[in-house]
Amino acid sequence: MIVVELRKLFRRPRTWVTIAVLNLLPIIVAVLLVLTDLAPRPGQGPAFLSAVLTNGALFPLAALAIVLPLFLPIAVAVIAGDSVAGEAQAGTLRYLIARPVGRTRLLVAKLLAVLVFVLVTVVVVAVVGYLVGVTLFEAEPAAGTSVSGTTLTVQELLVRTGYAVGYVTVSMCGVAAFALCFSTFTDSPLAAALGALAVLVASSLLFTLDAASPIAPYLPTRYWLAFVDFFRDPILWRDIVRGLALQGVYVVVLLGVAWANFTTKDVTS
Amino acid sequence: MTERDAVITTRGLVKRYGRTRAVDGIDLDVRSGDVYGFLGANGSGKTTTVRMLLGLVLPTQGEVEVLGRRMPRGGREVLPRVGALIEGPAFAGHLSGRENLSLLDASGPGGTRRTRRRRIGDVLEQVGLGGVDRRPVRAYSLGMRQRLGLAGALLRRPELLVLDEPTNGLDPQGIAEIRDLLLELHRVGTTVFLSSHLLAEIEQMATRVGVLDRGRLVLQEELAVLTAPTGATVVTTPDPAAARAVLDGRVLTEDGHRLLVTAADPAEVNARLVAAGVPVTGLAVHRPTLEEVVLAAASTSADRVERPGQGAPR
Amino acid sequence: MLLALPLVLRLWPAGDDGRSAADLRTAVLAGADQGWSGIAESSGGLALPETDQLGTIADLFSDRTRMRVWWRGPEDHRIDVVTATGETDLRRTAAGRWTWDYQSDRAGWTPAAGITGFALPAATDLLPSTLTRRLLSEADDGELSRIGSARVAGRAALGLRLVPADPGASVARVDVWVDAETGWLPLQVQVFDQSTGTVPALDTRLLEVDPTAPDPAVIAFRPPPSADIRSDDPLGLLRDVADRLPDVAFPDTLAGLPRRDVTGAPPSIGLYGRGVTLLAVIPLPGRAAAELRRAADADPAAVHDQLGSRLTAGPIGILLTGAPRNAYLLTGTVTPETLAQAALALPGLGSQR
Repeated sequence: MIVVELRKLFRRPRTWVTIAVLNLLPIIVAVLLVLTDLAPRPGQGPAFLSAVLTNGALFPLAALAIVLPLFLPIAVAVIAGDSVAGEAQAGTLRYLIARPVGRTRLLVAKLLAVLVFVLVTVVVVAVVGYLVGVTLFEAEPAAGTSVSGTTLTVQELLVRTGYAVGYVTVSMCGVAAFALCFSTFTDSPLAAALGALAVLVASSLLFTLDAASPIAPYLPTRYWLAFVDFFRDPILWRDIVRGLALQGVYVVVLLGVAWANFTTKDVTS
Repeated sequence: MTERDAVITTRGLVKRYGRTRAVDGIDLDVRSGDVYGFLGANGSGKTTTVRMLLGLVLPTQGEVEVLGRRMPRGGREVLPRVGALIEGPAFAGHLSGRENLSLLDASGPGGTRRTRRRRIGDVLEQVGLGGVDRRPVRAYSLGMRQRLGLAGALLRRPELLVLDEPTNGLDPQGIAEIRDLLLELHRVGTTVFLSSHLLAEIEQMATRVGVLDRGRLVLQEELAVLTAPTGATVVTTPDPAAARAVLDGRVLTEDGHRLLVTAADPAEVNARLVAAGVPVTGLAVHRPTLEEVVLAAASTSADRVERPGQGAPR
Repeated sequence: MLLALPLVLRLWPAGDDGRSAADLRTAVLAGADQGWSGIAESSGGLALPETDQLGTIADLFSDRTRMRVWWRGPEDHRIDVVTATGETDLRRTAAGRWTWDYQSDRAGWTPAAGITGFALPAATDLLPSTLTRRLLSEADDGELSRIGSARVAGRAALGLRLVPADPGASVARVDVWVDAETGWLPLQVQVFDQSTGTVPALDTRLLEVDPTAPDPAVIAFRPPPSADIRSDDPLGLLRDVADRLPDVAFPDTLAGLPRRDVTGAPPSIGLYGRGVTLLAVIPLPGRAAAELRRAADADPAAVHDQLGSRLTAGPIGILLTGAPRNAYLLTGTVTPETLAQAALALPGLGSQR
């Protein structure tokens, strides 16, 4: 079933257009950075961007930091929001259920397909970022500097980049789960995607608000930037672990809601 | 009726949406070897019933049994043996017909991967799409999509076909082709549950008929029984007055040159009229048409909206 | 349920073994050489005036600051101030001190000889342990009391309260929570000023603790090859000012506060007070005074009267007085009345009127 979902997803031109558009922004940023040589001021701009000027091999991380706050979640919300509602809108959902595909299996397969999409997207962004980084900037691929000022070997850097890619992927689980959950409530993919984005915008807004600090640790976007913590030395696991657990909780709760709704729902589309 | 295996049985099936009862306590009885014509006006609850048979819509009350298993619980064992066309075909527009069938086959149980390519070729041939190329379904005509939908239903050689308006969007030749195909499948043992609002389609194909009216099953019988001779004879004569005199009170109705006469044997009526010198231009055993039967059983059209108090009595 | 879990853990009763306040303080003060590591977070409600030079210090006291700490002793520790997109680190070894700012790719070095007791506030000063030692070191036993126990960073903590006896103190009280298991590691410090009541003006606490000495390898630092390496001056912007400050004959007491001697402090700066009640008097050259006055005029929170411009940020009071000649900047943890009283006693101001 998961193979079928992946075939459906990746045979779709729209999927690849999304990934291509997602890569556009880091490339634009890189070109502008090269043309102007203006590094963001400390504390401003995406993480790792100032470091790229001295070592282009770090651009994959900057590219991730660039797409992480908005572009990536939008893409995930659109793809995940489409997963069930899109089938309903096209009318293919009734044929899947009558095929029969178990409703629970369908939900899980959809979520897994979205996560594979996220992973592929993140890896593509990282690889394109690396190629852009070493072409446009001076690169010292031999080693890298950690955020804490220590020197990381190429192997360490690779492993940590791998961790970061994995973490960013997991960070998108919450968005995916929200969109998937909404997707079972509506026959409109757009409504589901917008619903998930509304949650994200609300979460990002609340995160900046002092009055919301009691609920801040539970906001789905709270620990997104913790992927930076992989590049501290030693790795700062606190927020990473919390981020993973939080996404896990969101996935379990929202998938539970989606499951409860979807398995008892009349498919009338 | 001989005791054949029950294929679809429902008992007191009810589906309520809010306060309206879309399906109101129906007891379907479809048996192996039937071509069951499920007839009803638009909005009479046909589609909801079909969806309940396939486990898409969950009944509010009552039971559904398909191929001996309770639905929707038994769907995993039963549905691979059922082919369905529900309210028109639906496909991923960016993929070709073959790919769509392949994905549909791969997504559920009962579709062996080894034979998939051959089975897809066979069913495409069967529905008249054997020469279809790699263009995406988006570019198909309505009739081609309908044929592809039917191909999807036939992919696993199902014992039961549940078809909702299968000839929708087809031209007259297409309709005839599909009818022949379904009759051929029926001949080799497939039970066909055919839901339609077209009387003619049901009359031409069904062996058994169920009539749904405003959520209630008002009629369920063998077509042969419904259209059995009524014990009357239809006489056509240019001189109805003379005929009426000869037949003396046995004339039930008179409609121009056409008389309905109480007589099981047309030959006897003919002999008397000819003996009396009344010219007879036509003579036939009287059978009711399906239309007459349905109109007698069903109330007014479901999409009429009457003012309160003027509605037809139920 | 999930939402309630952290709350339950925080409210879980912690045992209290009845240690006295004086014993607790002695143990904490003696604990400076004990090794530990952890994560600390301070949050300040101190809205200090934002000027270009004071930027990082103002952030330190007004924002939420998260720090990773590896502590082996006062001259052997590492503190990373962690931000979302980078960090600024401090590595102290016997040889001296490295600072590292990731985002500007800059490392700074101060040899041990250049490090004195007098410096601008830094992240180190916000650690519960260092802050506690600073606040308690000069406290009288009579100012201390025990306030039960609580749970901090998942550990049982013993409460210790300091209420300064000085009438001029702007700090109402300081609550310190000391780890019950080790007995010497402060887990949380809350500083309350006279006005705020229940909300601390400064709250710093550990989020995670490992009460064992960290590996020295974590503390050692060699700046990365790409880094811009420069020599740090612990006095920072104060050095420029201090060199140009007019020499002033400071009185021995000011507003009832005794003059104190701090090694490394420029002689042109007058330091007064004891414990948590401290006052610094900086005579200003004309240009610097005019600059500061402009900044003070632009600050909507500043109060202007015939004495000068006054600002309060939590327990910290700032008074800019006397212009254009004989200008002074007075700042410290004293009440506004004490600030005014001190200003009037300064040479060239009150005495002339």
